[in-house]
Amino acid sequence: MEHTQSRPAGVARAPSGLMDGLQRWLPKLVVAPTFILIGIGIYGYMLWTGVLSFTNSSFLPSYDFVGLAQYAKLMESERWLVASRNLAIFGGLFIGICLLIGVVLAIFLDQRIRQEGAIRTIYLYPMALSMIVTGTVWRWILNPRLGLEKLMHDWGWTSFSFDWLVNSDFAIYTIVMAAVWQASGFVMALFLAGLRGVDSSIIRAARVDGASLPVIYWKIILPSLRPVFFSSVMVLAHIAIKSFDLVMAMTAGGPGYSTDLPAVFMYAHTFTRGQMGLGSASAMLMLGAILALLVPYLYSELREKRHD
Amino acid sequence: MSQLELRDIRKTYTGALDETLKGINIDIASGEFLTLVGPSGCGKSTLMNSIAGLESITGGSIVVNGRDISGMEPKDRDIAMVFQSYALYPTMSVRENIAFGLKIRGMPKEEIRQEVERVADLLQISPLLDKKPARLSGGQQQRVAMGRALARRPKIYLFDEPLSNLDAKLRVEMRTEIKKLHQRLRTTIVYVTHDQIEAMTLADRIAVLKDGELQQLGTPKEVYDTPENLFVASFMGSPSMSFIEVAIERSEAGLSVTVEGSDGRTLALPVPAYLESWAGKRVVLGIRPEHISQPDDQKTDHPMVTSGRFKVEVTEPTGPDVLAVIRLNDTDVQCRLDAEHPVNWGEEADLMFDMRKVVFFDPESEKRIRPQ
Amino acid sequence: MTDVIRTGFRPSRIAIYGVLLLACLVYLIPLIVMLITSFKTPMDIRTGNLLALPTDWTVVGWTKAWSEACTGVQCNGVSGYFWNSFKMTVPAVLISTLLGAFNGYVLSKWKFKGSDLMFGMLLFGCFVPFQVVLLPMAATLGKLGLANTTAGLVLVHVIYGVAFTTLFFRNYYVAIPDALVKAARLDGAGFFTIFFRILLPMSTPIFMVSLIWQFTQIWNDFLFGVVFASGDSQPITVALNNLVNTSTGVKEYNVDMAAAMIAALPTLVVYIVAGKYFIRGLTAGSVKG
Repeated sequence: MEHTQSRPAGVARAPSGLMDGLQRWLPKLVVAPTFILIGIGIYGYMLWTGVLSFTNSSFLPSYDFVGLAQYAKLMESERWLVASRNLAIFGGLFIGICLLIGVVLAIFLDQRIRQEGAIRTIYLYPMALSMIVTGTVWRWILNPRLGLEKLMHDWGWTSFSFDWLVNSDFAIYTIVMAAVWQASGFVMALFLAGLRGVDSSIIRAARVDGASLPVIYWKIILPSLRPVFFSSVMVLAHIAIKSFDLVMAMTAGGPGYSTDLPAVFMYAHTFTRGQMGLGSASAMLMLGAILALLVPYLYSELREKRHD
Repeated sequence: MSQLELRDIRKTYTGALDETLKGINIDIASGEFLTLVGPSGCGKSTLMNSIAGLESITGGSIVVNGRDISGMEPKDRDIAMVFQSYALYPTMSVRENIAFGLKIRGMPKEEIRQEVERVADLLQISPLLDKKPARLSGGQQQRVAMGRALARRPKIYLFDEPLSNLDAKLRVEMRTEIKKLHQRLRTTIVYVTHDQIEAMTLADRIAVLKDGELQQLGTPKEVYDTPENLFVASFMGSPSMSFIEVAIERSEAGLSVTVEGSDGRTLALPVPAYLESWAGKRVVLGIRPEHISQPDDQKTDHPMVTSGRFKVEVTEPTGPDVLAVIRLNDTDVQCRLDAEHPVNWGEEADLMFDMRKVVFFDPESEKRIRPQ
Repeated sequence: MTDVIRTGFRPSRIAIYGVLLLACLVYLIPLIVMLITSFKTPMDIRTGNLLALPTDWTVVGWTKAWSEACTGVQCNGVSGYFWNSFKMTVPAVLISTLLGAFNGYVLSKWKFKGSDLMFGMLLFGCFVPFQVVLLPMAATLGKLGLANTTAGLVLVHVIYGVAFTTLFFRNYYVAIPDALVKAARLDGAGFFTIFFRILLPMSTPIFMVSLIWQFTQIWNDFLFGVVFASGDSQPITVALNNLVNTSTGVKEYNVDMAAAMIAALPTLVVYIVAGKYFIRGLTAGSVKG
């Protein structure tokens, strides 16, 4: 080419050598800070907490190892058992109801609804609120004297009584209510996105085969949304296990410790009751619970990605 | 003018068991248009990326004008590449796209402007200069991608399946256009494609790759007429060559092979004398569709041409001619028949076998049996 | 798929709209209650009910929540904590998003040996319950002299937010063809030139997603605030919780609700202005996570 067109004079050759070496290291250099922060802040600290859970640390970390004593103590603790049982109730109901509401609303909203955008915005806004705000509002709404009960009385239902918030047998269900209110719109959004992604030719084919709309949803569309279902469960379970803010704002674990969740238990023992060893052990069990969910999930996710 | 030598290029990806490139040797003359063809996964894209410096090689060397560039960064190799996806910078206008590389290399503004205009004239994209790539058609984007490469005036151009995202008609037009451009500028081009027609029409020489190994390097005519092995023979040409297993027989009239039609009728086909040493052995006869046609009086007299009557199983009119399938030795064999003398499927037709250009392969090694 | 599902006959349509509107009401009522109550007088609250409009509208609840209400021992309202939250959120959002952008760029376009491992570590880090890091982090902040400071909270939010932001950017950049980077490299562009000249101009949507996601996450955080901050450095969520749980004197629900509104307003405004990106953040953080 150079015999028909000479090289433009202004084109300077870039210097090689030192700069190239730097260029080669740049990517690693750029991610290094994050790598260090994450390495210490997540993995290092996880180990540290693990170590503490084998010690008899109280108000300050100590390194007197006591083996599994803290875990044994945890298993014997009535309060931990209540917290665990609450997590099972709360988690189960929260996930189940959110999924149900989310799926139903998503399907309904997928029927060429006017003002769909506005409705979607309304369903999802609680997700933008802090759980503390949610807790504060619901605590007021469920106020045994001035809240819902008074509203019903004013509307003529004078025998209506609702004191779940202060009833240690039912208080945990009020937390479920508030949590469902906050997160069900999010599940709706996930499923709606999933529904929009379903290949419409499959539905056309099913209609040609004479399937009715409910049958199409039940037999064809919902089964194809399995991945959405799994990721919803994953996220909701994650919210449930970490839930702390909502309980603190609504009941602070009460009455008594009837609405304790593991996260509340961990916080109370580690930071206010001076039982760091026990608190660490409870944190490790929370991690274990998440791992039990996460490992199979990530495994299947990554395997799918490898198939791309 | 730049000449490119690939010397024993090897590449093994980290963690991979097999070599992706198993020692490729190609010399590309200055101003030559070389196409790399092969099925997907043959290593042609890896080879191309290695030349560009986008991937490192694990063995061998890449030499441009006598200088080893194997260890250099892509930016220092002075090589431009046109990508299959065009890879136009979406946030920049056409003008900025073309100017980007020049700006980075520190060319003065005024020279950049002139260079962009020269390239835009050359490729007839001047009216598009201020548009964003997303507003252009596929063909226009293709031109801009080429413009970006041309503006740099690099030593070597690499084209990575540049036409495969275009529709059929545009593809043929751009093919002609690239050919014209090359004939005008005589630049050194390495052009990867999986389309063997593109390879045949554009190339000065074709390199056929499979499984990381060079199968054959030659002019389009060499590759088409004398394929080195069964793979090259089946890969080049459309519709492809038919392969029939036959035994070489010796008789007083010379060497021949016998083929049997679907109705049991047989025909002895003459074969060239260089197969003498294969007498009594089995070989694979490779015959292209155009070697079997309706009888032509001018050719039938040739000793290597013979005729027989066979049942036509399928016919596929293509316009200028009709492709017909007959069965010989239980193998489907394609023939190219005259569209003016239609044959219906299921009927019998007189067919002339022109054995002058057929090729034979060793069934064991799959290599072509060469005339001694 | 809406195009293939024909509009059914009337009764079922009415039922669908009925359910959807009822759900709207359920989602909206807490917000309505919160607003109505915040404008009531304490007297009004005792005599009326949740959904009764105030007999006389007053902003007393709001002014009191802003500057007089007691959050624990102090009675200066939530204003100071509101600004604390901003001082904490803005830098944390910017730093974590910027780090995430660079990380995502490297992990998608400049993969190196171990980069996939790092990505896996980050992905996993998104799911770790923060309870397992609280105690060591508290000890570290204490050693660094950052305990009970806004700077300390910023650091904490950057560390535990960068996994998400990296994920956002990495997934966004993975979808951008590698050929673009290759072309730029052949054009002579280096690591930073490619990022700033080619990828960054294409990244506005994902920057919005990351900024908004991080803003709502950090603004709404309570756990880190309550553990790592005390007194004057507390964020608004902690102050609100203290205010609501302060049990001195008569409970003033109008003040509680006004304070809750004050805490909710910044994220609500962001949600209303840029809800599109908020939803994308939510779905990106879970579906493709």
